[in-house]
Amino acid sequence: MGEDPTQDGKRFDPLDAWRGVRDIYMDAWSKNMVEMVNTEAYAQATGAMLDTYLTASTPFREALEKAMVKTLEQLAMPSRADVVSIAERMTNIEMRLDDLDAKLDTIQRLVTQAVGPPPQPRKAQQPAKKTVTAKKAKRGKK
Amino acid sequence: MAEATVITDPYTDAAERLKTLTKVMTTKAAIAQTPKELVWTLNKAKLYRYTPVLPKEKRHPIPLVLVFALMNRPYILDLRPGHSFVEYMVNKGYDLYLLDWGAPGPEDKNLKFDNYTLDYMPRAIRKLKATFGVEQFSLLGWCIGAILTTIYAALRGDQDGLRNLILLTAPLDFSNKQGLTFARWTDERYFDVDKVLAAFGNMPGEMIDYGAKALKPVENYIGNYVKLWDNIDDPRIVESWHAMNTWVTDNVPLAGGAFRQLIVDLYRKDKLMRGELVIRGERVDLSRIHANLLTVIAEDDHITPSCQSEPIMSKVSSADKELFKVRGGHIGIMAGSGASKFTWPHIDGWLAPRSK
Repeated sequence: MGEDPTQDGKRFDPLDAWRGVRDIYMDAWSKNMVEMVNTEAYAQATGAMLDTYLTASTPFREALEKAMVKTLEQLAMPSRADVVSIAERMTNIEMRLDDLDAKLDTIQRLVTQAVGPPPQPRKAQQPAKKTVTAKKAKRGKK
Repeated sequence: MAEATVITDPYTDAAERLKTLTKVMTTKAAIAQTPKELVWTLNKAKLYRYTPVLPKEKRHPIPLVLVFALMNRPYILDLRPGHSFVEYMVNKGYDLYLLDWGAPGPEDKNLKFDNYTLDYMPRAIRKLKATFGVEQFSLLGWCIGAILTTIYAALRGDQDGLRNLILLTAPLDFSNKQGLTFARWTDERYFDVDKVLAAFGNMPGEMIDYGAKALKPVENYIGNYVKLWDNIDDPRIVESWHAMNTWVTDNVPLAGGAFRQLIVDLYRKDKLMRGELVIRGERVDLSRIHANLLTVIAEDDHITPSCQSEPIMSKVSSADKELFKVRGGHIGIMAGSGASKFTWPHIDGWLAPRSK
């Protein structure tokens, strides 16, 4: 059986001390960063960056969209707007189906209340084995 | 029989660690494994029923419906076998349902809280009641899901038969602007919500993820991976980290209409708590909530601090209400290592006598 390399069963790790220093440093860094992201200046800076990105990218995005729509039109293929429109209509149809489903559930409940529960399916005939057993029992009695 | 001594050199150790690291960083863990069946679906939303494990006579007669946030996957409630709130509650005899919102597509960019609370939720509840022959039910809402369940409870709760309402880390009060980092970031001076939505339609999941992580950047972008590396030889911790990482990186967009309401009506104008929020022409009056209420607050929550969840206790008309504070973060209270010791048993202990 293999023995532990150290007395207490734990290997000596020269990096443990380094890890301790690292954790202290990260805790301090974390607290500073949490304070920093909570400032007005950070909110203003991120807002400005996002705004710049959107302002710069919008013309390119719109141009690309227009070009794509024209290309798809030339290829006789549906555009994103067409697919979105169909998806919206599908959702509307689903809503109508759900309405119908609700009405059917109500009708079913009312019918059940008026007529009573549906009849139970007829019980299957007693298996022949049981009859034979009963006969055997009677014979036994005789 | 003598055990063979395994001799490893530092290079082999490092190679093994790198292999494990690569695996957990590049693959998805097996999550959401509790068996369930689809009961109802509308657009991207789905209502699932978890397969009961107890016979009917041993189950609670009042079903529980779970409603999670719109911009994350709900399987955080059923993360992995042996560490799943869903599994725990099913084993405790609850007839458990999950309303999964799915991921909105470009066609859903106009979906608002109005649609979620007055179209989707009432329809799902109606189907549940019709299919399984129940008149009353309990709702558990978490994060944005708690906003939706609160609005629904105020507008339709009594009418639909809502008996118990559980709110987990519910961001409902936005009056304390100084205490809310998100409120500062989304202030109208710095953040143009219309410009963002004009560009993207829906709020991209990646941007929401950045927002959530940037609240604690060092922990989320560095500390998280350092913790994994330090414990890479412990399969239990690696498995847990892998499952959580699978969930954290699986973001969904937030429907544009709902995002606009969240920022403008709630973060900026605090309309819900002030009684000014109007959903499809109907004012959301929190005093119309009569269901038994349990509000769960995470004491170390940096996303939804307690000042956002506590004030609802004085606004509702519920005769039976309880505020429960538990140590942990926004997600940790339900998916962390202490969840099965503190939060889940407390929810079960509160709900069980109210589900008779």
